[in-house]
Amino acid sequence: MRSPLAVVYFKELRDALRDRRTAMMVFVASIVTGPLTLILMAQFISGLEEKAAILKVRMAGAEHAPALVNFFQRNDVDIEAAPADYEKKIREGRLDAVIVVPEDFDERYIAGDTARLEIVYDDSRADSSPAIRQAERLLRAFNRESGTLRLVARGVSPDLVEPVKVEHVNTATPRQKGAFMLFLIPMFAILSPLLGGMTLAIDSTAGERERGSLEPLLSTPIARGSLVAGKWLAAWTFASTVATLTLTGFVVAAMLYAQKKIAATLTFGWPELAQFVAITVPFAAMTAALQMLICTYGRSYREAQTYVSYLATVASFVPVIVLFSGLKDATWQLAVPVLAQQMVLSRVLRGDVLSLADYLLPSAVAFALAALCVASVARLLQQERIVFGRA
Amino acid sequence: MIEVEALAKHFGAVQAVRDVSFRAPDGAITALLGPNGAGKTTTLRMIATLVVPTHGKASVDGIDCVADPVAVRARVGVLSDARGLYARLTARENIRYYGELRGMDGAAIAASIERLAGLLELTSLLDRRTDGFSQGERMKVAIARTLVHDPPNVMLDEPTNGLDVMTTRNLREVIRRLREAGKCVLFSSHVMQEVSALCDEIVIVAKGSVVAHGTAEMLLAQSGRANLEDAFVHLSGEGMAA
Repeated sequence: MRSPLAVVYFKELRDALRDRRTAMMVFVASIVTGPLTLILMAQFISGLEEKAAILKVRMAGAEHAPALVNFFQRNDVDIEAAPADYEKKIREGRLDAVIVVPEDFDERYIAGDTARLEIVYDDSRADSSPAIRQAERLLRAFNRESGTLRLVARGVSPDLVEPVKVEHVNTATPRQKGAFMLFLIPMFAILSPLLGGMTLAIDSTAGERERGSLEPLLSTPIARGSLVAGKWLAAWTFASTVATLTLTGFVVAAMLYAQKKIAATLTFGWPELAQFVAITVPFAAMTAALQMLICTYGRSYREAQTYVSYLATVASFVPVIVLFSGLKDATWQLAVPVLAQQMVLSRVLRGDVLSLADYLLPSAVAFALAALCVASVARLLQQERIVFGRA
Repeated sequence: MIEVEALAKHFGAVQAVRDVSFRAPDGAITALLGPNGAGKTTTLRMIATLVVPTHGKASVDGIDCVADPVAVRARVGVLSDARGLYARLTARENIRYYGELRGMDGAAIAASIERLAGLLELTSLLDRRTDGFSQGERMKVAIARTLVHDPPNVMLDEPTNGLDVMTTRNLREVIRRLREAGKCVLFSSHVMQEVSALCDEIVIVAKGSVVAHGTAEMLLAQSGRANLEDAFVHLSGEGMAA
């Protein structure tokens, strides 16, 4: 004979899995999410890198600037003649930036006057900014070289015009760049348990009442605590499974890219997955319990669905707020659900070594809240207005 | 045996039950008869420990419904007003779940399901999912679920609502057998014929209070009417006026 809690647990799991279409949709969606996201992001990022990696400028009127053309050629810069309708093409986003040389350029340049050049671009397009910056950088280098030569010709040390020499040293390792890019993985780790536990949380609370099976259920001698705990464990199982599947999808996708150039920025392998699961599964305990609590207040299945989607919206805002507010990592954040998971998970991706507290504190808070929610649902089920839906 | 004494329940300003007292003995069928909104369902819910009375007391086999609700629930089978099934589970799984919730072992549940399926003519439906069931078929599963643990006290809230003639007859037969087995059967209805065909004792409830109580003959005599339906209208009308 099984304990009442186990009876409820297995019944809820069986019931949820019988809903083949919903279960399949949730599972398939969670497996596909990772690969799809990573592939799209990787395409975008490698696109950016390629644009900047090949030194290439488009020029209109190159024949008026032999000195500049010579400079580009010496620096292995490909020169491409801009089409006649380059302004239109830039506006349409088919060209990034064009260097336009006026007819009198060479004349003024040789005379030692200030010669004018134009860079034509549309800076409202984010993906053309590497090409714009590249054109600017190349022209600045040409400027410096010409200026230096002129000073040297007049017997002046070129150091005079460059009191500070700026050198770029980028300290971000490829892995750290990847973590910035992969802020999305923590977000999916936070959202996927919400998605996975949703159906079961609604079905076993508001759904149970709506289909008229709550009253008969409560007429049995089972303790309210066991009843709610069994339902919660089932929802938690679903939430954890979906979260684990989603994260595994990310690992598999990252491994598919292992051979490519961007592999270095996508360090999300089995060890990282284990850490993610260790942090996400306790978090799922909380989300499942919280979903059940708010669904218990829902007067109908539909109303409960609305509440649950609000919860998901709130949770998805947190990582975005962190990203834009520039919130620095701090210990107090470990005690705030969602914020804690977001912080710890992104530290995993940055390759930081986590302390025991980084695992235990967020999970302890999650379990405490889960217990509180389960106890609240059990208490609510004693109340006539909840059981019979009175106002 | 179910005993109810001066039971009352208020929901805010609404008085669902004002003053209900009766005694439903073992081996007998007792009916709560009354128009819709008379307070029958709320009375049954108070006995089933799902609603706490504002005044008065209810007890099952001498156990107080407020003091020890779990013991009461163990001794009662309730076919409540809400009788939803799990549509994705088969009839057998629906019934088995309730057997398991009541702590029965697998063999006892299987034997109970066989017996009830025979009694309710449910055997051919047992392994089908309940989502395609007709109202009558659903009702049979709900009754089997109520009786799976062979409870000494059975409460049925308007059990024949929406059932066709054949299913109703079948259900009456099941209820009679419960009486023969010495159970205390309490059921609520607003249908006169059903009550007169079946019940040993009739408790007429109107506007939350008991207005008459006794066998069909006693009620006829009390009201001075020739048939039970007139008696019911007359007696419950008195309750309305009061």
